[in-house]
Amino acid sequence: MSVAPARAATGPAAAAGVLGVEALTCRFGGVVAVSEVSFSVARGEVFGLIGPNGAGKTTLFNLVTGLTTPTAGRLRYQDRDITGLPPHRIAALGIARTFQNVRLFGELSALHNVMIARHVRTRSGLVSGVLGLPFARAEERVTRQRAMDLLALVGLADRPGEQARNFSYGDQRRLEIARALALEPQLLLLDEPAAGMNTGEKRGLSDLIRGVRARLDLTILLIEHHVPLVMDLCDRIAVLNFGQLIALGPPAAVQKNPAVIEAYLGDEA
Amino acid sequence: MPAFLAAYDFLLVSMVLAAVLALSLYVPLMAGQLSLASPGFYALGGYIAAITSTKIFPTAGGLYPVSLVLLEMVVAALASAVLGLLVGVPALRLRGIFLALATIAFVEILRVVSLNLDVTGGAIGIFGVPQPFASQIQYMWLGLPLLGLCMLFVARLEQSRTGRALIALREDELAADAMGVDPTRYKVLAFTVSAMIAGVVGALSAHFINTWNSRQGTFDTGVSLMAFVLIGGSRTFVGPVVGGLVLTALPEALRGIADVGGLPAWLAQFLRDGRLIIFGVMIALGTVFFPHGLITPTVLQRLGRRRGSAV
Repeated sequence: MSVAPARAATGPAAAAGVLGVEALTCRFGGVVAVSEVSFSVARGEVFGLIGPNGAGKTTLFNLVTGLTTPTAGRLRYQDRDITGLPPHRIAALGIARTFQNVRLFGELSALHNVMIARHVRTRSGLVSGVLGLPFARAEERVTRQRAMDLLALVGLADRPGEQARNFSYGDQRRLEIARALALEPQLLLLDEPAAGMNTGEKRGLSDLIRGVRARLDLTILLIEHHVPLVMDLCDRIAVLNFGQLIALGPPAAVQKNPAVIEAYLGDEA
Repeated sequence: MPAFLAAYDFLLVSMVLAAVLALSLYVPLMAGQLSLASPGFYALGGYIAAITSTKIFPTAGGLYPVSLVLLEMVVAALASAVLGLLVGVPALRLRGIFLALATIAFVEILRVVSLNLDVTGGAIGIFGVPQPFASQIQYMWLGLPLLGLCMLFVARLEQSRTGRALIALREDELAADAMGVDPTRYKVLAFTVSAMIAGVVGALSAHFINTWNSRQGTFDTGVSLMAFVLIGGSRTFVGPVVGGLVLTALPEALRGIADVGGLPAWLAQFLRDGRLIIFGVMIALGTVFFPHGLITPTVLQRLGRRRGSAV
């Protein structure tokens, strides 16, 4: 695995990738949050996104999931141009995410939170749902069962009826992962999943992420500040600083990169 | 009992119709959309029934066929759905208070239009809308099944995939969108269902109150409906139903108290005529102390448990 130049995302190599980010730029007024960032994420990869606060990591997530429309550049997902698609269309294509500041449906139960995310994988409409037609009933049973399975997967099977907002911070993060997985994504975006977790929970999270990737054939894009977790999990890491991609490569190489060290520790010269 | 029904026939039917109208306001609220458009569709439904029964199928005497009332209700539902779609698609791009304002404007536009058209009878309106029943209490034959159907519909909706999508939008629109729920589609759907329910109630009401004019289904109605839902409860369909029933009866109860005597004249006057003021104060206090209304899913659970343990 070589440290590819950032521009290599265009061209035939990008076609093999699940996600292609091509010269993506996002400006908010005078602020350039993301500036001409390009990279490509390969199938099955755990791809880390790191950088100091305000580097543009979450903005990049918002761009990929359609919550923010890019000022320039293109987004490619499995050979499809998804630039400018609304979030629900992107979700339906198989991209799911969690949020940095947890956005669960707080008043609803854990089970309902997960069931809602089965939306794009289910069909029943207003009439069939209200009338309780056989196929809608069967679908409802499957939805409930899948949601229970996912709660079990993240270790929350014993509290399906509890309101999401009553869960501890760490549990809320795991519930968000279960909700994202309910979408049956091929690409999963995790925004600081370990934030607010203790050491034991973080280790469990590592195992969980590795487990679901293998079992569900997932590609994962991960924003995380906790360095051991990133080093442990990621196949490749991209480093953002002030909206620009300053390094891209395997964890060990990125760790030694002088530009990265400078971005984190400041320029002493 | 028959004496009671005869004495309070108008009030009892009004309570039932108010409960259905409250459900009409509740459905968009499930998706977090405060729409005050229901009175507009209620007015539309009323005009459809009034015009149909006085101009298209005028009856020489005797009772107006119930089957035609049912037909009018269906036509009112369809017409309201079409108008709901036309208004909903652009209006639901607005959020929060702006949607509320746009829907108030919609109701006002309909009022002014009906005030100036010949077919709606202008300022006088349409008189002598024919009666399908010999007595007013018999409107229950249509009102109660309508309420039952609407309650069943909304109750099942809450438990279905579509209902979950609406509730997800209410809880966090951005997260729901990222989880694959199309916000515009489901908001318009809720708005259209709401319009249909209001239209049907309007059609029945035109017969029930025997006359229809531009004073039916105005902003005042919207305030009352909002009170029904916000005070009754905005997190389960039981809330608006109870709110509509109880708060419609409340002015009569207050009038009863005012008539007891011994009260200062100003207080008696206020109890008789201060309905909208009382609703307003209740909405204001309610939103502070009971933000989700008096009847919430938690309250219902507790009631259910108590009944379960008592058996």
